[in-house]
Amino acid sequence: MSSELASPQTIVAPSRPESGFRRVGNWIYRFILFPIGQMLVFIIGAALLLTVLSYLLAVFVPVPRENIVLADQIGIQLPGMILAGIGTGFLYAMIALGYTLVYGVLKFINFAHSEIFMVGSVIGFEFTRRITDNDLLRYWSPVFFILVMVLLAMLFSGTLAVVIERVAYRPLRGAPRLVPLITAIGISYVLIDSTRAIMTITRNDFNLTYPTNEVGYLSTPIPLTFNGLVAGGFVNYTEEGLEDSDPIYDLMNIGGTRYDSIEVDGVTYDQFVVEDAVYEYVMVGGVSFGGDPLRVRNVRVGEESLRPDVVMIGGQDAETFIDGSNVVNVRMTVIVVVISSVIMLILLNYFVNGTKLGRGIRAVSQDQATAGLMGINVNFMISLTFFIGGAFGGAAGSLFGLNAGTVTPYVGFIPGVKAFTAAVLGGIGNVTGALLGGLALGLIEAFLNGVLVYFPALGQRYTDIFAFSVLILILIFRPSGLLGERVDEKV
Amino acid sequence: MAVKAQPQNSNPIRAAFANPVTAAALTILYMVVTGVMLFTLDQRNLWYPALNMCIFPLFILSPLLILGARINGNLKATLLLVLMLIVIPIVGLFNTSYLELAIQIAIFAGLALGLNVVVGFAGLLDLGYVAFFAVGAYLWAMFTSPAETIFTTNGWVIDPNMMSAGFVIFILLGVGAAAMFGILLGLPVLRLRGDYLAIVTLGFGEMIRVLVRNLDAPINFTNGSQGLHNIGRPGTPDVLYNLTNGMAEFFGRPLNNTDFVARQIMFYFISLVVLGVIIVLARRLENSAIGRAWTAIREDEVAAIAMGVPLVRMKLLAFATGASFAGAIGVLYASKQTFIDPSSFVLLQSIQILAMVIVGGIGGIRGVILGAMIVTLLDLHILSNFSQQLNALRNLDYVVPIINFHIRDWPVQLEPAKYQPLVFGLILVLMMIFRPAGLMPESRRRLELEERKDDGSLPKISMPPDSTGEMPYVSSSTSSEASSDQEL
Amino acid sequence: MSLLEVRDLTKSFGGIRAVREVNIDIIEHSISSIIGPNGAGKTTLFNLLTGIYKPDNGTVVFGGRSLIGFRPDQVNAAGMARTFQSIRLFPNMSVLENVMVGMHSRLKVGLWTTILRTPGFKKQEDEVTVRANELLRFVGLSGKGDEIARNLPYGLQRRVEIARALASDPKLILLDEPTAGMNPNESELAMRLFRRIRDEMGTTVVLIEHDMRVVMGISEQISVLDFGQKIAEGTPEAIRANPHVIEAYLGRRAAGTHHERLDA
Repeated sequence: MSSELASPQTIVAPSRPESGFRRVGNWIYRFILFPIGQMLVFIIGAALLLTVLSYLLAVFVPVPRENIVLADQIGIQLPGMILAGIGTGFLYAMIALGYTLVYGVLKFINFAHSEIFMVGSVIGFEFTRRITDNDLLRYWSPVFFILVMVLLAMLFSGTLAVVIERVAYRPLRGAPRLVPLITAIGISYVLIDSTRAIMTITRNDFNLTYPTNEVGYLSTPIPLTFNGLVAGGFVNYTEEGLEDSDPIYDLMNIGGTRYDSIEVDGVTYDQFVVEDAVYEYVMVGGVSFGGDPLRVRNVRVGEESLRPDVVMIGGQDAETFIDGSNVVNVRMTVIVVVISSVIMLILLNYFVNGTKLGRGIRAVSQDQATAGLMGINVNFMISLTFFIGGAFGGAAGSLFGLNAGTVTPYVGFIPGVKAFTAAVLGGIGNVTGALLGGLALGLIEAFLNGVLVYFPALGQRYTDIFAFSVLILILIFRPSGLLGERVDEKV
Repeated sequence: MAVKAQPQNSNPIRAAFANPVTAAALTILYMVVTGVMLFTLDQRNLWYPALNMCIFPLFILSPLLILGARINGNLKATLLLVLMLIVIPIVGLFNTSYLELAIQIAIFAGLALGLNVVVGFAGLLDLGYVAFFAVGAYLWAMFTSPAETIFTTNGWVIDPNMMSAGFVIFILLGVGAAAMFGILLGLPVLRLRGDYLAIVTLGFGEMIRVLVRNLDAPINFTNGSQGLHNIGRPGTPDVLYNLTNGMAEFFGRPLNNTDFVARQIMFYFISLVVLGVIIVLARRLENSAIGRAWTAIREDEVAAIAMGVPLVRMKLLAFATGASFAGAIGVLYASKQTFIDPSSFVLLQSIQILAMVIVGGIGGIRGVILGAMIVTLLDLHILSNFSQQLNALRNLDYVVPIINFHIRDWPVQLEPAKYQPLVFGLILVLMMIFRPAGLMPESRRRLELEERKDDGSLPKISMPPDSTGEMPYVSSSTSSEASSDQEL
Repeated sequence: MSLLEVRDLTKSFGGIRAVREVNIDIIEHSISSIIGPNGAGKTTLFNLLTGIYKPDNGTVVFGGRSLIGFRPDQVNAAGMARTFQSIRLFPNMSVLENVMVGMHSRLKVGLWTTILRTPGFKKQEDEVTVRANELLRFVGLSGKGDEIARNLPYGLQRRVEIARALASDPKLILLDEPTAGMNPNESELAMRLFRRIRDEMGTTVVLIEHDMRVVMGISEQISVLDFGQKIAEGTPEAIRANPHVIEAYLGRRAAGTHHERLDA
């Protein structure tokens, strides 16, 4: 086969005795060490850059709130922000792969990809729900459970993507560029609404809550310990346990001990009402800060005087802090997301760069006509690309659902836009670029979320605009992205 | 539409429409029959929703039938005027939902024509078009709503006595404000390639919506997600009130809501005027050096700029023109609805307007109006009547004959009225696959859009070029694939 | 006097220097040719002159004024029009409309006059139609105005493209391989057309050509590009005898023996 010969890494003479070891070593380097190293470099680089930028911001921009030293806050939140950023970053990267792979072979923005992702999250929900309903979890190991969930979502989303390509996009090849784009928008709405229809008929509701809490090991918090103070939440602590939705914060909890009043900078509170908690909760990605991480100089609780690093007032997730005392917990699910993504990205890298099929896909993305002439089944390669892209979207969807808890048929749009931004940021059509773009965007977002809370006028209400702004800025100033090639055109 | 058929066609109906005399007679007959059927529909009939669902769309298509029929120009104009100015108001007199539909169709036809300038004429896919609509709507709402915004608290509102004059002035201001937004948004992005432009405009649309939703603090401009209520509207002229009353008495069915009906009739006429102006403007722009430049840009940007067409300026002009139509319609819409909130301006709304442009026939004015009719009717009339019919039959435990299907077995969750997004999505997909040039295609667009590579080979595609780089003035996908892969 | 003065014009794409330090003078009212093997940088040179690419270095002075930094439409308005190597008509517009678009830079395009349909607007539209028909007659396409451009045979499409370029009343017209794919008869007609463009319209003509019969038969001055550089310049006779040119076309060894191929 001529394509066999064309590949440099296969030309290794088998006769030489050391070549076997070298080959294995080379293989491990190429397909395992190098990709992991690349991810580490991206993460460390982006995190360092953002840390420096946030500190610079802290030095030069005054925070419009009293008692807050931004630099200190950033210091406290840093590990949480970075971990959360990596978690979302990997999710974005996995979704972005779907955009970038399809763009690579068809030069077409698959607008419906965000809905493939959504379907993945719904499949993940169905699976988890059924497993917990049938109480199968006690027999299944966590790894096996997550593996099956992700594989199922991948299979379903991948197949769906292939079917969509076959039915809706293939008839339009060769049509003006915007025709398939409009079709994809249509497909996107069809998917959203049919999912809604199916879920309302089968479950009578389209707000689908993953039974994550029933999966014990997933809700286990991983402690990142601070010297902190946690005060109340949206929950009311009663003898029976936790009750939802009481607007009054009547609970002071430090190190697991309950106190009746708290003195903060000379003011005594025996109750927090909603108005006191300006920001009810701050959530940095997977790390929940159960309230305004307000820097307080002087806290007296009971007889003790404290100088805590973090004070949390109120917040949806305060219940976890109450139990975990002075602990900021990282959800297990974030770790699951990170580990699964790394494994999948390594596999994808091997597939694209180390196998014959992957070579076929690359050939098709370079030049379809020539690839066809060289005996490559172009349609099969395009279907395969859609399958892989869809499968990654589906995996991301199920992991996203596991992490976020609740999914709806409308859950795809914002992650889709962000992932598309990530793909463009890295250079659309470029697989490594998608990874870099995803991680960069995830980290930027986590840092922004962490820092913007201190600026009430901006605040988090505008964070969704942020992805669009990044997208627009890149497209205007560097449409080829960070890793994209500049390709000149012949007129 | 069948009326546009060639004379030599053997089909007798088409042949009849080909003859001027029979065509005129048939057109009038069609108009009268559908009008009378609508007028005499009995709401107590079990099948009322289904009949209503079918007959009103047939009736409201008659203006297009008149336009398309091969009849004498004067007769055409007379028929059209009679239909628009007399027949439709009379039909709507006793069932104001018909007037409401006519107004909505006119409003959306205006919006679709504006989007058509951008997408159809200049070939720029704008997925954030509804933002300009929002600009017009909020402009009027902010100055007339009693909601506690910075405008009301400072007394910067329009005096209720000046409402009518203010309305006219604000329609013009809406045109200006939306055009300004169009230029501001267009300036940075119009160099982008077509599909990127689509995504970026989508982003801008969402950004404006988020902005509107959040501009209630620190200073309250828009009242945030609560929206603005009790928006002002022009006063109904006495003439119209008296005329409405007189008409109702003439038919021997006095109205108990004359105020409301007269106001609806007023809005109907205002919408007609606005739509008329938009049609005239769109026509004049299309048949001019500007329109030719837009077509040239759509077909081949590189050639166009090399032939002296200033790309960015012409694209901006298209953007601003489309936006200004939406601005004017926005003012009208806000005053008609009297309540707006950010959820009226979501992406789905932009997609719905795009669907109108595509269904009827991208690029052609008549086609776009047809598209606006179809999509608006689906949205507001057909799906909801279908649901009503289902419910009526369900309550009676109706059994469909032959297949023996109990209507009550139809799942309640599957109420057609709740599935507009599905319907619009399907419309977009099916139209793009089977009739990309629309139901009433404009000839040039048919050539462009129905072109496919027949040999099954795949298009040759170049890598995305760097628009900051070598071809700074050309948004560049167009160049190497001139004939096969041109922008829409 | 020189209508167009090109000095040290340079353009690189990535590592490839497509055009390097090219100097060319085009005499007003002349017919000149630019020749060279494929990939010599001729079309890139045209793209640089017409503002489609930005040069890395060098100057372009046209009729006494610098064109550096001009957008393609501004170049067109300044009086330099062009055709494309692969025909780039507006395929779904009529032939007449194609030519009318070419007039864009000579028109007053006002939003208000268009919307209000002022008498001035109507007069201009009438003039545009008349002028476009004249141009179609000039290139021998009278009566074809209403045809859709893509339906015309290839040779006629070339003529539409020339008419469209002439529509802006240029002082200089750049024709990129205008006789490609033509048989000797058609080439002969095309040459006659190029002469008429110069003689009747007073437009200076610059051709990129591969057909040596056309080049030698019509040019008053020839510039030869090879690997982005100008390797020779002069009258057809001088070019025919220039060993560098022969080498560029046929390779070093052939330079002595295959003289006649260039004369063909």
